[in-house]
Amino acid sequence: MEGNSATPVKYDMEVVRWFTIAAAIYAVVGTLVGVIIAAQLAFPLMNFDLEWLTFGRLRPLHTNAVIFAFGGCVLFATGHYIVQRTGGTRLWSNKLAWFTFIGWNLIIVSAVVSFPMGWTQGKEYAELEWPIDLAIAVVWLVYGFNYIMTVGIRKTSHIYVSNWFTMAMIVMITYLHVFNSLAIPVSLTKSYSIYSGVQDAMVQWWYGHNAVGFFLTGGFLAIMYYFVPKQAGRPVFSYRLSVLHFWALAFGYVWLGGHHLQYTALPDWTGSLGAAVSLAMIIPSWGGAMNGMMTLSGAWDKLRTDYILRFLVVSLAFYAMSTFEGPVMSIKTVNALSHYTDWTIGHVHSGALGWVAMVSFGAIYHLIKKLWGVDKMYSDSLVNVHFWLATIGTVIYVVAMWVSGIMQGLMWRDYDEYGTLSYTFVESVSAMHPYYVMRMIGGLIFNIGTVIALFNIVMTVRTAASLRSTNAVAAHA
Amino acid sequence: MTMNDWTGVFLALVAVIGMVATYVLVFRPSNKEQFEAQGRMILDDDDPVKLGDKR
Repeated sequence: MEGNSATPVKYDMEVVRWFTIAAAIYAVVGTLVGVIIAAQLAFPLMNFDLEWLTFGRLRPLHTNAVIFAFGGCVLFATGHYIVQRTGGTRLWSNKLAWFTFIGWNLIIVSAVVSFPMGWTQGKEYAELEWPIDLAIAVVWLVYGFNYIMTVGIRKTSHIYVSNWFTMAMIVMITYLHVFNSLAIPVSLTKSYSIYSGVQDAMVQWWYGHNAVGFFLTGGFLAIMYYFVPKQAGRPVFSYRLSVLHFWALAFGYVWLGGHHLQYTALPDWTGSLGAAVSLAMIIPSWGGAMNGMMTLSGAWDKLRTDYILRFLVVSLAFYAMSTFEGPVMSIKTVNALSHYTDWTIGHVHSGALGWVAMVSFGAIYHLIKKLWGVDKMYSDSLVNVHFWLATIGTVIYVVAMWVSGIMQGLMWRDYDEYGTLSYTFVESVSAMHPYYVMRMIGGLIFNIGTVIALFNIVMTVRTAASLRSTNAVAAHA
Repeated sequence: MTMNDWTGVFLALVAVIGMVATYVLVFRPSNKEQFEAQGRMILDDDDPVKLGDKR
């Protein structure tokens, strides 16, 4: 690349460091809140009769913390890193990157305050009230502007595919956030959506599924296409397939939202269209997953010793699994059983824990070593321990929700020879209890893994800092 | 057919034509080497990260 051929490029990486550390902290906090609300479902006593700590208020705190605090910081860290490295240039504006960091973290703080207070728009994954929505729009646009301008001043002729995924995310999330959040404020802490009835539901799931598609999939595919080849030390198996993957995702994903609303007041054909395109999306999704995995073709032995690579490759296995499971669940006959049950929660978490969190931690470990200039983490064994805790925790969680969800669906639809329902709703709740405990244990195991990761990261940073000061003293002596 | 229907048909056609064009562009044998070379570019930046920030 031109950027490092003559004069070495100096990058703006301090902001990337801060985003990386923030992501590791938010992973601990977000999953901890998840464990607490899982415990509340299994043991209602855990609500403590305090309105600020009830499931209804903490649940959006959990989802926002893991998606936007943890996931957002990972995307900002890797985005600012990748755009500089692949373009052989510094950021267009380091100050705007810092504005993004400070602004995003203030938004997270406002979420931590407003959700326990019960200030919510009641829209899934978009619960924050209108003043915070405005702040999100400003910070997001600043990030997008800085990112695109940095791509504009790149020293390379080609724009690497990861940047395409990130730019698609930037454009789509702007549209989604603005249109889904349109509301009429009645006070600083209360507003009402401008949409009503079925239109509101349609816009909500146009937003909801595309947030999954472009934030939690597109953004993290950008990470996959950069960090898997870098960690494996080999080019991506087929760059042509990655280009195709990008365009198929960009063209296809926006049609899917209707599959969340099967058997509702939404016109029947919209759900069918959503399901049909969902099934078609298996092809590019699996193509992308295979592309990432086959990057290791001829170098599979690296998985025995490179624990970071394990995170990245296992994330791809979960990505493949989730992108198959989702379309299957969108088929009307399957949806009749799965909708409104815990199967959906299991599906979401196989994607969130198995795909998003795994690929994130693979990237975080890679970044920590690069940004602090160390050859290895403080403890590679702890990376391995984290990997197994994350994998086992995810599997326990997902299996518990699969069993619980399918059981719920079967109990709700079962009726006797007189056409009377065989089970009351309370009986189905009671039957789920062991699986809710199992889910809590799986989540706790995953959470312990994030604590170990944070400890390992902090110790690596401290060791790197002390090494630097030792070297500086030696140089002056 | 309402205006909405025609808009939908138009957008669907644009998406289909766009995908077909992408397939042709990506899988044309003469473009293979160019694409795959672009995939190798990220391996060339493996120098230690030079930090430009003030510490």
